Amino acid sequence: MAMTFEQSENKQFDIRGQICPSSLLVALREVNKRQQEIKAGHQHLTLLTDNRDSTTTIPEALINMGYNVSVVKEGSYYVITVEGQPA
Amino acid sequence: MLSVFIIASACLILGLFSGFLMHRSDFCLVATFRDLFLFRSWFLIRVLVLLIVTSMVLFEVAHLLGLLPFYPFPLLGSLSAATFIGGFIFGVSMVLAGGCVVGTLYKMGAGSILSMVAFIGLIFGSGLYAEIHPFWSTFIKKTTFFPGIITLPNLLQIAPGWLILPIVGLSLWLFRRWQRQNLWQRTAYANNYLQPWKAALGLAIINLFSYIIAGMPLGITTTYAKLAAYVEHFFWSQHLGSLSYFQAVPLNATLPWLGLHLQGGAAPRIDSIAYIQGPVIIGIILGSSLSAILNGEFRIYWRAPRRQYASALIGGIIMALASRMTPGCNVWHLMGGLPIFGLQSIAFLAALLPGAWLGSRLLTTIVMDS
Repeated sequence: MAMTFEQSENKQFDIRGQICPSSLLVALREVNKRQQEIKAGHQHLTLLTDNRDSTTTIPEALINMGYNVSVVKEGSYYVITVEGQPA
Repeated sequence: MLSVFIIASACLILGLFSGFLMHRSDFCLVATFRDLFLFRSWFLIRVLVLLIVTSMVLFEVAHLLGLLPFYPFPLLGSLSAATFIGGFIFGVSMVLAGGCVVGTLYKMGAGSILSMVAFIGLIFGSGLYAEIHPFWSTFIKKTTFFPGIITLPNLLQIAPGWLILPIVGLSLWLFRRWQRQNLWQRTAYANNYLQPWKAALGLAIINLFSYIIAGMPLGITTTYAKLAAYVEHFFWSQHLGSLSYFQAVPLNATLPWLGLHLQGGAAPRIDSIAYIQGPVIIGIILGSSLSAILNGEFRIYWRAPRRQYASALIGGIIMALASRMTPGCNVWHLMGGLPIFGLQSIAFLAALLPGAWLGSRLLTTIVMDS
């Protein structure tokens, strides 16, 4: 049975204040490390970033790789969520 | 005194607009080259081409209308081997610092502590350059290729228009093609995001105003050296007096529209360099802060890995050295010198590319390695 978003394990990375382009590099590294788990819906990633550019570059790169990406502004930073696309 | 006030106020306003535009669009000249090598992304390269070609046209029209006080502008020198070496080192270090000499300011204005560390590195590195200046200035003199010749049209003995027309023709064809392929726009999620192509057009106009009003496009690196001189004057004034770099007065020209004599260098005093470049620096920081505060995004984050702090500091120090060795930074050469075909600027770009490639490799293999 497919897991819901709430049931999937959240892996969170706080990249606020880090050197450019940490957010995109971390996102790519972690997504590649957990491809199976994310695509199967067992895990999803959340990245906290204050880098405006990465709110564009991360969705661009990961949507092209077949993931679902959402960006939400939380106060002074952004929360980027990466999950697998439902089959 | 009034003319100094006019110039300083104009530069402050231009700096404020620049900082605001840079923060809203996050148009970073380091990302332009770094992302090309790291992620094969051509998006910002297209924006940079737009910025350069637009500046080329604006500068030439202003030149033909007699609006430019100097052509070429002061402080843009002849080509030497030093430019290639400086440009290469600049390319490596700007990636390690996480921003160029201007990018560091707008990122710092938005609350980045790493950029503040890079800024301190820039001041320290500028002071360090003074120690090697006698040797380096001799090297520049010995390796100058075309003494007294500043631009490519000057070297070829043709009017700039002969180079500008085919470039503009080709660019217009490319720009239309990119527009049809929808390559100018990015899907953006950041609050009040400004598409970088709009920021590029804005920066080209700001740079034109800088050229017309202050006699030269935006440039700030000599002021980093001036700040280093003030620090050194405070702690080690005797040594400062012995350094020839701080005695030099590279800016020496009269601004016709105000009848104002521009004179200055890196010495710790309020001269023309201070009141032209200083307000631009302050303006960029404040403009970016204003944008971040209005967006609810101003926040100081300091929790970054130690390796990144080291990269920002070392990158800043080396970038300052490179900007003095070239001389000039990427904003000065790409947005100012390249549009008038400055030989130094063409060489700077040619050397910056392999430098940025190496910097990107170092960033991913050493700095970001976990």
